[in-house]
Amino acid sequence: MFSKLIFRNSKRNRKDNGLFFSSMLICIVAFYIILSLKNQDVMIFLEKMESDAISRLLSMIPILYAVTLFLLFFLIYYAGKIQLEKRKHELGIYLILGMRRSKLFVLLLLEDIQGSMMALLVGLPIAIFLSEMISLVTARVVGLGIIGHQFSVSGGAILWTAIGFFLVKLVAFLLLGLMIARQQIGNLLAVAPDGARKQLPKGIYVLAVFMGAILLAKAYYMGISGQSWRDFKQMGMTMIFGLAGTLLLFFGLRVVIGFLIQIKRNRRLYVYNFRQIEEAVIYSSGKLAISSLLVLAGLGSFGAGVAVGSAYLQTVQHISDYTFTADYATINHGLISHHLDSYFSDLFEVKIGLMDGDNQDKEELLQMKAVLQELEKLPKTKEQTILLKHLRRETRPYLISLSGYNELQRLAGQPILKLKEEEVVIYQHPDFTFGKELLNHIFAQKPQIFLNGENHYITGKVESLPLVTDRAITLAFALIVPDNKFETYTKGNYEIFLNGSLKSEWIQQKGLMGAVLEVNQKLTDAGIEYESYLQNMGRQLFYSVATSYLTIYLAIIFLVIANTMIGVQFLVNQQKSKKRLKTLIHLGADYQILCQSAKKQINWYFGLPVLIALISSQFGVRALLTGLLPGYLQQDLMQQLLISGIMIVFLGVMEYIYMILIKHFSNRYIFSLMEPERSE
Amino acid sequence: MEAILKVEKLSKCYGKLLGKTQALNELSFQVMPGEFLGIMGSSGSGKSTLLNCIATVIAPSSGKIMMAGKEVTALKGKELSNYRGQEIGYLFQNFELLDNLTGRENIMLPLSLHGISSKESAEKLLQLANYLDVADVLEKFPAQMSGGEKQRVAAARALILNPGIILADEPTGALDSYNAKILMEKLTGMNQREKATILMVTHDSGVASYCSRILFIQDGAIFHEVRRDYPAETQPQFYQRIIKVIARLGGGDVNVF
Ligand SMILES: Nc1ncnc2c1ncn2[C@@H]1O[C@H](COP(=O)(O)OP(=O)(O)OP(=O)(O)O)[C@@H](O)[C@H]1O
Ligand SMILES: [Mg+2]
Repeated sequence: MFSKLIFRNSKRNRKDNGLFFSSMLICIVAFYIILSLKNQDVMIFLEKMESDAISRLLSMIPILYAVTLFLLFFLIYYAGKIQLEKRKHELGIYLILGMRRSKLFVLLLLEDIQGSMMALLVGLPIAIFLSEMISLVTARVVGLGIIGHQFSVSGGAILWTAIGFFLVKLVAFLLLGLMIARQQIGNLLAVAPDGARKQLPKGIYVLAVFMGAILLAKAYYMGISGQSWRDFKQMGMTMIFGLAGTLLLFFGLRVVIGFLIQIKRNRRLYVYNFRQIEEAVIYSSGKLAISSLLVLAGLGSFGAGVAVGSAYLQTVQHISDYTFTADYATINHGLISHHLDSYFSDLFEVKIGLMDGDNQDKEELLQMKAVLQELEKLPKTKEQTILLKHLRRETRPYLISLSGYNELQRLAGQPILKLKEEEVVIYQHPDFTFGKELLNHIFAQKPQIFLNGENHYITGKVESLPLVTDRAITLAFALIVPDNKFETYTKGNYEIFLNGSLKSEWIQQKGLMGAVLEVNQKLTDAGIEYESYLQNMGRQLFYSVATSYLTIYLAIIFLVIANTMIGVQFLVNQQKSKKRLKTLIHLGADYQILCQSAKKQINWYFGLPVLIALISSQFGVRALLTGLLPGYLQQDLMQQLLISGIMIVFLGVMEYIYMILIKHFSNRYIFSLMEPERSE
Repeated sequence: MEAILKVEKLSKCYGKLLGKTQALNELSFQVMPGEFLGIMGSSGSGKSTLLNCIATVIAPSSGKIMMAGKEVTALKGKELSNYRGQEIGYLFQNFELLDNLTGRENIMLPLSLHGISSKESAEKLLQLANYLDVADVLEKFPAQMSGGEKQRVAAARALILNPGIILADEPTGALDSYNAKILMEKLTGMNQREKATILMVTHDSGVASYCSRILFIQDGAIFHEVRRDYPAETQPQFYQRIIKVIARLGGGDVNVF
């Protein structure tokens, strides 16, 4: 009998609280995926190359795990409290019927454990499946090839997911259970009085809206101007302004809703819907503000992830797969003698040398007076000042031979450069491109420079293709000169790098990563020294995979918590409005009308916090770009738009899912009210 | 004259087999347009069940309810909600105002529900509010109104769409005798002036004395009927007669005013 009661109650809880249950599922899935991170194909692969970084990343996971458990605790506590509040009456009846308190406590505990078991039983298989899918998809995307994929279930991850989940549920339960078990029966049976409508004078709310808006604006300004990043105190101030601004804004929001009610549009149940929303805004402005801040936190971590991740992906263009540090003849011979030549195509030399000249101290080999003068004439900006400082120091540049660079141009699918005898082109490595626009503007006038005292002109635009496969050679400033000049000015003292690519059939067959890995092995066996694109790619891949995993994980956790809070809030208020709904039905409201009305309210419930978070997040992205990214990427508007776009799509998808879910639960509830029954 | 409401052999059975309650038992009667019909009976005699069947809040087990020539139990979807909203007005014992709407918004609720422009009815609202003495509380929330005011606001809401019939289930049940008297005078006024048809359930003989006809039901069936001899018989005289009927019928359990 007792166990039947537990079983039935727990089943009903899941049904009544489907939203909460779904959120539990998402959390379990997120837990498992993050905990089983090291089983992902990409991670296994990266571990071979970036083992230090990987182990640092993996050592961060327990911290992340603890933090999210802590967040999850609040969600569970909050949702559990609401659920118990709803069942207060029922529990009171159990007590009146003579159930002992300890037994009631055990009843609730067993119900809770059964619920958790269900969540784990459903959640873990989903998690394992999803984790496998992600592993396969990322492996495919980064070119690892999926042939070597092995289905893997991480026992440790399952164990820790279960332990963490149970632990949090248990702690929350103990707190809630004690609270309930201690109450007088009378308290349990009494219907909680709806907090009296205590309204302050309207002016105060108007003031709150204004103050909130001002504080938010201040926080936005501090963020995007970079002020917040100066020190801890400034950052703290920004946070406090943002927090207080959001809270005040929501506190004062009732004025705005009140105004909307006054408009009295002739739409169906317009006034009723807005009165319902008003009530929510009045009674739970704090909760809405917190949900909004959580959405913002989710968007923030997502935005940061996209920004950092894409920054690493963007910087280096992939042209060749291999670089050997010897000339063509030597390497080609080596390859042929080990039967490796068939793997490669497009072998070409790039020559780089430090300029040499007649000048004794070699200091004034390059003179760019005309360029510096032009630059000085331009309006004084931070960029201009820094650029000037840099260029003044460039007195003995590196030189790059034109023929080698043109091979790179050709492979990158760009037109080759044609230089006259006394023409040169400026080169900056992609990681160091700075003030490109300013420089291109000046170079358009073909300014005169002197190399070893001889007359030359800068032409074209700043070039920045990577010269070799790795970051071993990163020239912040160099000149591309015709080959004969190159020989002259380096005095024959230069390095040769031989770039080469893998044949495309080979890549198609194995995936880029797979092919590179295999050829690396063969080259090592043959004793040929090489640098492969893999090192570079591995590093990039590591940073982008690591940031995207962690940030998406955090973003999902934040958004799940925020949305669950909003959703639970709506459903609770809807159930509190049961009598109102019944009256509406009596007055002739049908199922469609009520669902429509609930839909409108849901849109507003989610819309308000999400919209404000979205606005804040746009400034947040800007602030992140200012604070986190290296200088050369800051001014990139496209980047900002891209990040915002991705963020909005991501948020849109999450919100859509949750709103659909809530609408489904809401409709089901309304349907249960529609059945003809006694209204007394 | 054609009856506005015809109830024919209406039965309602709650529960199945075991613990079955026959709340209505082949009950039949008619209501004429402009009539103020009262229904009295001991507790549990099926009065609320009857009213709720007419209001389509519960489905009868058998029998027919015809409102203005239409079979009510056969209504579906839009017709049903129109019927609930526009052809009947319902007055509840505990008012059932929406506590987060102002008086005005409560009265306008049926308009907003049925997508009717509020401009059209602005005048009607003012007229009703004045007549029912609630013009001063239109901007107040129910929590800020007295019980009498609440019920009169509810009456305005029931009347705003000019329903064919007003159903009232013990509308004075939660009011003191002073407020009950005011409400009854207003309802009688509406009945006489606007020829509003009213069907009211009550326990209270004093309240019942405002009616033009009273049906007494017991165990789900009508067993007596009294008609006020208007205008020859005054209200106090009718009241005396009701009390006598109740006493004669031995309905000690019927509440006496
Ligand atoms: N939902 C229900 N389920 C089962 N029985 C019901 C239900 N509603 C009413 N009844 C029974 O039907 C009978 C008639 O009930 P009804 O509410 O119509 O009486 P009433 O005349 O309105 O009484 P009162 O004067 O006390 O309001 C009663 O015996 C009651 O117990
Ligand atoms: Mg009743």
